[in-house]
Amino acid sequence: MQSISIAVISLIVSVSGSPVAQEADTLEASAVFSVKYRPVVRAAEEVYLGGGVTAPARVSDVIRRFTGVQLKDYGGVGGLKTVNVRSLGSEHTGIFLDGIQVDNAQNMQVDLGRFSTDGIGRVSLFNGQKSRRLQTAKEYASGTAIHLDSSVPELPDGCAGRVRVRGGSFGTINPSVGWDKRLGPVILSTSAEFMLSGGRYRYRFFDTTLVRENGDIRSLRAEARLFGRTRGGDWRLRLYGYGSERGFPGPVIRRATGFPFSAERQADQDMFLQGGWNQEWHPRFATSVKFKYSNNYTHYNTHAEKNPMAMPYDVHYRQQSGYLSLAHSYIPAGSWSVDLSCDIQHNSLASDAGYFVTPRRTSFTGVLAARFACEKFRAAAHLAYTGAWDRFKNPDAGGWSRRNTYRDSWIPSVSLFYKPLEWLEADAYAKRSYRLPSFNDLYYTRIGNSSLVPESALQFGADIRASFKGWEIRISPYYNRVSDKIVALPTASQFRWTMLNIGTVDITGLDAKAGGSLKVGSVNLTAVGRYTFQLALDHSDPDGLTYGNQSPYIPRHSGGVELEARWKVLCFSWSSTFTGVRWSRTANIPDYCIKPWTVSDASVSIHLKHLVAEVAIGNIFNRQYQIVQGYPMPGTSVMLSLEYNW
Amino acid sequence: MFFGVLCLSACRKDVNPETPIKDSSLTGTSVDVSAISGKTGKLFVLNEGQMGSNSASLDFLRLDDGLYVTGAFKKMNPDVGAGLGDVGNDIAVKGNEAWIVVNNSGLVEVISATNERESAAITIPSPRFIAFDDTYAYVTSYAGAYINYDGNWNVTDSSNPKGKVYRIAIQNREVKGSVEVGYQPEGIAVYGGKLYVANSGGFSSSLAPDYAYDKTVSVIDAATFKVTKTLTLTDNLQRVYSDGNGNIYVTSFGIYGKVPSSIWRINAGDGDKVSKIADNVSVSAISGDTVYWIGSEDGTWKGNTCRNGVKGSFSINLDGVNPYGLAVLDKDVIFVSDAGDYVNPGTVNMFVGGSKKWSVTAGICPGHFAIY
Repeated sequence: MQSISIAVISLIVSVSGSPVAQEADTLEASAVFSVKYRPVVRAAEEVYLGGGVTAPARVSDVIRRFTGVQLKDYGGVGGLKTVNVRSLGSEHTGIFLDGIQVDNAQNMQVDLGRFSTDGIGRVSLFNGQKSRRLQTAKEYASGTAIHLDSSVPELPDGCAGRVRVRGGSFGTINPSVGWDKRLGPVILSTSAEFMLSGGRYRYRFFDTTLVRENGDIRSLRAEARLFGRTRGGDWRLRLYGYGSERGFPGPVIRRATGFPFSAERQADQDMFLQGGWNQEWHPRFATSVKFKYSNNYTHYNTHAEKNPMAMPYDVHYRQQSGYLSLAHSYIPAGSWSVDLSCDIQHNSLASDAGYFVTPRRTSFTGVLAARFACEKFRAAAHLAYTGAWDRFKNPDAGGWSRRNTYRDSWIPSVSLFYKPLEWLEADAYAKRSYRLPSFNDLYYTRIGNSSLVPESALQFGADIRASFKGWEIRISPYYNRVSDKIVALPTASQFRWTMLNIGTVDITGLDAKAGGSLKVGSVNLTAVGRYTFQLALDHSDPDGLTYGNQSPYIPRHSGGVELEARWKVLCFSWSSTFTGVRWSRTANIPDYCIKPWTVSDASVSIHLKHLVAEVAIGNIFNRQYQIVQGYPMPGTSVMLSLEYNW
Repeated sequence: MFFGVLCLSACRKDVNPETPIKDSSLTGTSVDVSAISGKTGKLFVLNEGQMGSNSASLDFLRLDDGLYVTGAFKKMNPDVGAGLGDVGNDIAVKGNEAWIVVNNSGLVEVISATNERESAAITIPSPRFIAFDDTYAYVTSYAGAYINYDGNWNVTDSSNPKGKVYRIAIQNREVKGSVEVGYQPEGIAVYGGKLYVANSGGFSSSLAPDYAYDKTVSVIDAATFKVTKTLTLTDNLQRVYSDGNGNIYVTSFGIYGKVPSSIWRINAGDGDKVSKIADNVSVSAISGDTVYWIGSEDGTWKGNTCRNGVKGSFSINLDGVNPYGLAVLDKDVIFVSDAGDYVNPGTVNMFVGGSKKWSVTAGICPGHFAIY
């Protein structure tokens, strides 16, 4: 609801060119600088978050309106929210925080609902290949990417602070504080946020109205960031801690009265330390070093003593990861640049689950990238290689095994940009990427299959943009093919499942977006419309029952409208999102059909010098809908936000 | 005697007073049933569905005219909005009714076998399999010591994951007590006033590593409803069949990579003497006094039988069908279901004289059959 203003602002910004590009244009050595700063292709979506209460609280709220993106949302504040871009599957979408991938080797699902927008300055989506100087190798290796970039606080007075409280429906209270200070050449930025939500809401289940139970969450996030400059360079450091305890309300099914749907609880403790240093040694040569250490602890308990239908399961996991990246960039001639990036990462997963196979993975990614940029034409070619060594300790075999444990793949991509006219530009890309099997795919107790090969995604896409007088239209056709898809299947013995590389999905789609702004008297009006058409067809087995059917949870038609009106200190915004007919299974039969839905949100905010206040109404028409079958979404909700800053 | 029959039919009317809706109006797929001419009634197919998606469903094949109807429960009970429920685990026919065990819904559904109308939905926590004597239905349940029933279901905290057998009066569908058995009990059969319950210990993979599969069959005296004997067979026991002549057959899934699946015989006439019949049992069923099973030996599927402890075989060319469930109408007419990819509808296939006659699309994971 709050992201309307942001999205609209982003559209305006993208019409007038990104701030970095503007800065570069003013510099004298424009040829060199255009290579340096301009991305070869534009982001498909780019949102600048101004910070403050009018930014959506969660990154997932920003992303759910992006064109061509399906946010899989299990409902409620604590429900899992993963993103699927252009039907490739969430495992093919890399989430990057300041260029460093947020990964999860266990199941490759990154829960975007956990990411606060606090301290995030920009959220962007790249369908093809983002190509700028000094990227990490991993930024070249994922099929599609969502980049979250930190905002660096501007401190004209040397010091700034803010206190913010959000709260409202579902028994939600979400206070946060932030304090930034300039310490000589270094800027320190700190923030902390607490969230408590009861997670209760009413929903319809056939002819009864029920209340969602066991969906409560408590979470605490605290982080500190440091930003510094060197001669010809800059560095940053981020220490992040997050703890949460939540319930999973479970799927809504027919269940005997007196028993809950679910009593599952999960506690998480996540921390990471990451940093980066970019240094320009010479106008033609620069390097970048980035690192990360992360430690994620999870305690999951089905609490079978409260839910007799549950399988008793009380298990702890600890996932650790260390990561180091080194990137070099050289400009041999004015409009050319060449990059070489190498990443090394080590992941481990430990657990006290019965018969747990302890896996470790060491992976290497290397990239050679070449870029050419002039005023009207830009081109980039990249070749990435990624290899992963796995070993796993099998309690049955009694030791470490290295069988079937080296997997590698080559990831080539090319991107082109052409701007024939002042108001018309186009870009195109082709890419082949792979996703490694996750630890769960490979080693999950008695299901995993250590002989899996990486799942591959072939992508072609184009983007045509025309702009006039503050209005822009974009049309983006694309074709993707996912093959060697990793699918869970039973073996000859029906009770033993295994993971196999068998599926093939062909995805043909079109994204369209139009928007612009208008001034009527003293009122600024902006509007954006989005539409996506997607055919994601199962082409696994020509004799199969589901051959040619639409993939689960992918609507053929989806889209949305966002409107904003600003008058003096007041801002009103409106957003409607539409998702067409979907199926919960590849068998596209009426039993598994999920009804289309349209949900509208609205907000009003007032912006004073030190005070910002907002009232946001979610699902204003109280539509009953499900994104994931069995997980009803909340009806109308109201959130109040108040921020004081100094 | 005559009076008794009259009374019974009168009671039945009281239980189900509304005019039955005929299921003859349902549409479906017509298949060739010429091989089973002369038979009337139905073959019920219970589709387990995918756990958590409320997708259990009931199909039936009408044996006289060969109409295969999918989703019959939902079609005949539009007033039960949520449908059959989540994870159909067992189906059995008693008299003119079919009892369906819906595991993750915590329900035992009783329907009319003639028109699939629901007549009762009985709460049993985490129910697995069902068997009958003349008075009671017996239902195995994973949820044992967590639960107490004193007219209401009370969830009590306990670290003991042993299961129970619940007893339901057929007459009024009331739960009449329970008895604790082994870990994660599965199949159950009734013979000679005794209940034979196979304990699997199937949660062992998720619990502590030192927790092992259960290897026992609990023998319960029906009159006192107490465990009188515990027989030791092998790991991970599953289905139990009684041939009515004193032979109890028990199957085991074994332990993946360690212990092969197998079938065992308990000779009730010889002091419950236990003996192993064979290894490699994927799907099994009983028909009359003969137990049938299909197992994979050296990568090929083979059909085997056992009658009165004497082994035999039957020929079957599965023709690409990956067996998930088995039903035997007679020695020559066999139904094998295939769960496909387990998340989309599977198939039911009829084999006559060992070769495939036809294949029809069922629901998700068609796994259990009952003949009415």
